[in-house]
Amino acid sequence: MDSITTSTLCIGGIGLVSAAALAIADKFLTVPEDPRLAKVLELLPGANCGGCGFAGCADYAKAMVLKGVETNLCAPAGSASAKAIAVLLGLDAGRNPERRVALVLCCGDFTEAVRRSKYNGIAECAAAQAVAGGDKGCTYGCLGYASCVRVCPVQAIRLEKGIAQVNKHRCISCGKCVATCPRKLIKLVPYKAEIHVLCSNPEKGPVVKKVCGTGCIGCKMCAKLAPEAITMDGFLAKVDYTKELKNPELIVKCPGKCIRSA
Amino acid sequence: MNTEKSNFTFKGGIHPEYFKALTSEVALRKIEPPQYLFVPMQQHLGAPAKILVKPGDEVKRNQRIGEQNGHVSSAVHAPLSGKVSALTTVPTANGRLAPAVIIELNGNEESEKYEPFKEWQSASEKEMLARIAEAGVVGMGGAGFPTQVKLSPPAGKKIDTLIINGAECEPYLTADHRMMVEHAAEIHIGIEILRNVLGARNVRLAIEDNKPDAIQAMEKALQKMTGDVAVSVLKTSYPQGAEKQQIFSVTGREVPCGGLPMDVGCVVENVSTAYAVYDAIINGQPLTHRAVTVTGDAVENPSNLWVPTGTHYHHLIAACGGTLGQATKIIAGGPMMGFAVTGLDIPTTKTSSGLLCLSSHRVPQFASHACISCGRCVEACPMRLIPSELSQFIEAEDIESAERIALLDCVECGSCAYVCPAHRPLVQHFRRGKGVVLVKRAMVGGKK
Amino acid sequence: MEYFILLVSAILVNNFVLSRFLGICPFLGVSKSISTAMGMSGAVIFVITIASAVTWALQKFLLEPWHLEKFLQTLAFILVIAALVQLIDIVMKRFAPPLHAALGIYLPLITTNCAVLGVAVINMKDGNGFLKSVLFGFAAAVGFAFALLIFTGLREKIDRADPPRCFKGVAISLVTAGLLSLAFMGFSGLVK
Repeated sequence: MDSITTSTLCIGGIGLVSAAALAIADKFLTVPEDPRLAKVLELLPGANCGGCGFAGCADYAKAMVLKGVETNLCAPAGSASAKAIAVLLGLDAGRNPERRVALVLCCGDFTEAVRRSKYNGIAECAAAQAVAGGDKGCTYGCLGYASCVRVCPVQAIRLEKGIAQVNKHRCISCGKCVATCPRKLIKLVPYKAEIHVLCSNPEKGPVVKKVCGTGCIGCKMCAKLAPEAITMDGFLAKVDYTKELKNPELIVKCPGKCIRSA
Repeated sequence: MNTEKSNFTFKGGIHPEYFKALTSEVALRKIEPPQYLFVPMQQHLGAPAKILVKPGDEVKRNQRIGEQNGHVSSAVHAPLSGKVSALTTVPTANGRLAPAVIIELNGNEESEKYEPFKEWQSASEKEMLARIAEAGVVGMGGAGFPTQVKLSPPAGKKIDTLIINGAECEPYLTADHRMMVEHAAEIHIGIEILRNVLGARNVRLAIEDNKPDAIQAMEKALQKMTGDVAVSVLKTSYPQGAEKQQIFSVTGREVPCGGLPMDVGCVVENVSTAYAVYDAIINGQPLTHRAVTVTGDAVENPSNLWVPTGTHYHHLIAACGGTLGQATKIIAGGPMMGFAVTGLDIPTTKTSSGLLCLSSHRVPQFASHACISCGRCVEACPMRLIPSELSQFIEAEDIESAERIALLDCVECGSCAYVCPAHRPLVQHFRRGKGVVLVKRAMVGGKK
Repeated sequence: MEYFILLVSAILVNNFVLSRFLGICPFLGVSKSISTAMGMSGAVIFVITIASAVTWALQKFLLEPWHLEKFLQTLAFILVIAALVQLIDIVMKRFAPPLHAALGIYLPLITTNCAVLGVAVINMKDGNGFLKSVLFGFAAAVGFAFALLIFTGLREKIDRADPPRCFKGVAISLVTAGLLSLAFMGFSGLVK
């Protein structure tokens, strides 16, 4: 036999034996996997933000396929994907919630809000809060140490003049910033809402005035101008987002300058 | 009763400059009461007390205005007579808000009191524990753990040693020191009562060797005590007054990782707590006043004051002649473990041991740098942790790894941050990390 | 004694990663956390040891009698090793799913890992017997695991530290790998 034949036989033989071994292993040992899992995973955004309450997209996909968890928990994926997944799995898509985005309810930037002391510690909101309640005069306002900026998985938050601001077009409403803020200043509001009261200080007017130039002083002007959508919670105006509110006059008239569009 | 020199001391620790001479010879002095008292309902660890009065009510001295609310909680009494002008929330030294009662004082001497025990030796432990709870006695060393809870260990935990903590290892503070010098006899009776309630065989009174007059006074007072009683003289070293370090220094026993003093048969009570127990049992007087050291280089006359709880800090400073120039940093408590405060409208509580006003040249300004792995913090840590590693884990948000190397055992004594050449805010990292761990555990517990 | 020297030499002196520069891909790829590095090390030790035995048999009973070892060695070895890794992949998925989940895409990486092929080829070149081949394979794999674990431990620490921005990530890792390699050169006088 010449060497070409022997080589061909040899390699061919090895190939055949290996192939046979693999085929047998595949037949008897493979773990069956739900083919729908991969398809569902494809429909999810893969950001692994955890906003759905599961540990990442793969975990949520598994929960949907195996346990029939609702398909509308993923805010970043949106309603179209929720429906597609529901169709794929034969589940009920549920009523799709309105798109919500994070909003920082404070506008006391460093030109307006007073700092009551010098803080020389870790640049982290919760850490600053733990030292005598933070260095900001207003004990309800944004501390500006950017903890929310760091947890945002899509870089939708940035600091502007010492106040965190959310770019609502980028926000995927995962809720991480809401959980991180030690002062509970960040709320999820409807994407469509245009007018907000950007203050969280519930104190009386004079107390607020002392610490911030742009705080809600509880004058009730807005509640009179738009009684259907703005309610007073003590000395703090609040927008009822279930109602329609399109009154640009409010923004001009607010003496605290804290009603703004966002 | 005898005096023993402690043979061992805990590992690590530091030797800061003490500055105790500022006030160690200054006798305790009662202050002129302010016009208003802002009595917080949270002067202890646990749930805030439930307010029993409403605006407009007349309250007498020693009248109970806050009721114990749950197992780990404590009662609060009106320190002086007056009229309740409002219910409000006040900031406390650690930056949180607490519900409070504002009392406008009227100088009335009329007082309510509990019936003193005539023969406390024959009273049952239960009666005395109930009285200690009623009188709102809490641990006065700083944490404010309700004393009645500490004195009733769960069945199966045998307490054989009662340690009375008179170490006062924090620099500057001398309140406990003065209590021992001036009220040795009362503290002695308080110790007897505590021993009876606990049924402890041994009693050790731990004092650092930099307070010879307190050692002498207490030796004299405890002379007549029978049984295994000793004044234990400890080396001066910080944190000698921390519970777990002190237990090791006095008895040689080591509290296990994550354990409590009762796991090694010990209970540690502060000397001021012993005094409060004496007052509650013998005089029927609830805990409403305490000794506070107002000191620092920015105070005109550094003093030890006898202060009703609820007095604002600015009143204490005024009682010491005000500040010299400008106080750059004001700390509630000692310089190592105290809280820097942002205002003086904070009320004194049962756990306020001192108020420290420092001028700018005692407050160095620095920037912190990256860890250079020098290991000084590891040497200094009295809990034998690895602060450098811990802080880096927390900085990288790897809290789980930090938890694995015993983050929760940190006692926040500040020794590591004191020695760190890179000025890293180590304790602040640990506080934040511990906060994250505790919130996580509470969430897991809640789900179960 | 000869075997002992073989062991020391393969683990330290002629460390596969740090002296021969074989298997750099998993060395950099799987060194982010100790747990995956341990899994990878285990898999590599397992695969290389078995591969040494199988390739020795292949060489001895198939290639040499038919005089094919001169030009068909690489091809035949790759074929066998690839099939072997696939088989291990299937078996592991069935019997040790957590390990499989941890190794994920790295297990197939071993298929074309030059360290595995390198061991086989060096064995044949040196004309090692069966026992020696297997032992050498095992030792080389242990050396790989050793280097990988040291490097992973360093990298975990470096990740937490705060290097200058231009060094962050892969850059500082490569610098570290280079320094580690220099350090391993210190072993070169250990065995002749």
